[in-house]
Amino acid sequence: MAVERLLVPLSDTVTVRQTVGYAVQSGLERADSLECHLVVALPYDDAVPESARQREDADDLLSRARNWVEEDAGDADVTIETATLGADEYLFGPRDYAEIFDDYAAAQGIDRVVLDPEYQPGVTARILQPLERELDRIGLAYDEAPVERSTRRGRLTGSEDFDRLFATFMVSYGFYLVLGDPTYWFDLVTGAAVAGIVAVSLARVTFSVPLDRVQSPIRVVRFALYIPYLLWEIVKANIAVSAVILRPSMPIEPTLTQVDSRVRSGLPLTALANSITLTPGTLTVRATDQRLLVHTLIPAAREDLFDGGLEKAIRFVFYGRESAAIPSPRERDDAEIVGGDEL
Amino acid sequence: MIEPTPLQVTLETVRFWAIVVLLGLGVFFTLVSTVGVLRLPDIYARAHTASQTDTLGAGFALAGVALAFGWQHAAVYTVLLLFFVFITNPTAAHAIARSAAETGVEPVLAEEGETDESAADTEGETR
Repeated sequence: MAVERLLVPLSDTVTVRQTVGYAVQSGLERADSLECHLVVALPYDDAVPESARQREDADDLLSRARNWVEEDAGDADVTIETATLGADEYLFGPRDYAEIFDDYAAAQGIDRVVLDPEYQPGVTARILQPLERELDRIGLAYDEAPVERSTRRGRLTGSEDFDRLFATFMVSYGFYLVLGDPTYWFDLVTGAAVAGIVAVSLARVTFSVPLDRVQSPIRVVRFALYIPYLLWEIVKANIAVSAVILRPSMPIEPTLTQVDSRVRSGLPLTALANSITLTPGTLTVRATDQRLLVHTLIPAAREDLFDGGLEKAIRFVFYGRESAAIPSPRERDDAEIVGGDEL
Repeated sequence: MIEPTPLQVTLETVRFWAIVVLLGLGVFFTLVSTVGVLRLPDIYARAHTASQTDTLGAGFALAGVALAFGWQHAAVYTVLLLFFVFITNPTAAHAIARSAAETGVEPVLAEEGETDESAADTEGETR
């Protein structure tokens, strides 16, 4: 009797239920007996404060998924295995995910991977397409679950879109009035019209990640706190670099370093990379996933970079105070000096 | 015309000298940055110091301008101007460094104490 072994990577999406349903159904069509491996890949390792909460979420998701499989399987012969992957390493991008799935598949004799089209591990952006490319490269068979996504759009559109429109409108209206005269009726009217056009046309572009009504304003406040800290860092670094440049012997020590940062791709990573570049003495040359290639001019700047002060500050801005207390890149072995070949 | 009181006179003097000092610092950091661009060995190192003009050079100069305008609407513009300089400067610096890396410009690197690093460096230089 043939056994079909399926690997189903889970993440908390609206389509995860349908994906599990499809996995069970398609598996039972191909063989009499099904072994369904439900896995959650954890993006962060134990060194990161939020990993404990993520682990709880993962366990919760796995137990729910187990119930779904039992429900769909009915009387059929289905064995369920659950696992969390990647707990001891930090997953950077699609390649890392593809590799841990491949390792697991090799160990368990998996026939096929069933992917959720909305698959989104952790807080990073959706990685389905690059993940599929990596799976192709590795040669692991996969199948994308056909799901109905209209339910998701229909249900969430209202409040999410309103938040984006409202935020874009208020930001552009505020900016218009700062440039104009907030007490003059003409500016108030034209400002509202312009902000309306901007909001309608650019809201989706401006906020690619859905806004949170509580968290997003808090982040703005935290960012305002971050600015004085950044300015202070810039002044310090400027003085250090100026001293080196003006000294006749010019004791520079240019090095290329590679730092694996622990912030999400997108806005947080951009903020971190730009802050690093903004402080003289460190210059971000490349950013691939969360791996930054940084050129440093003087040893003091390199030490500051490895101490991760800016990284902690960015984590404070986007994730809150507890998340800021992570080991520095040097302590967690994520910072190293590399040669010019890494370019 | 109303005679200015002594306090107003001193405040005006303080403000005048504060503006002079701020502009002086702005010019100083711009000068340092120029010296750096001339002295430093390669494009990556120069990109570091070029950003000094934008951060502290423009920063101090615009702070002086804001102070000269005093408490009026135009001062807000200078703060906004600085804000946009701070957003665009790292983007431009990164674009320059990245395009240099992509066209295969080898960075001049210091000889490191560790053997494997220096081996990697010399290997990079001989090619």
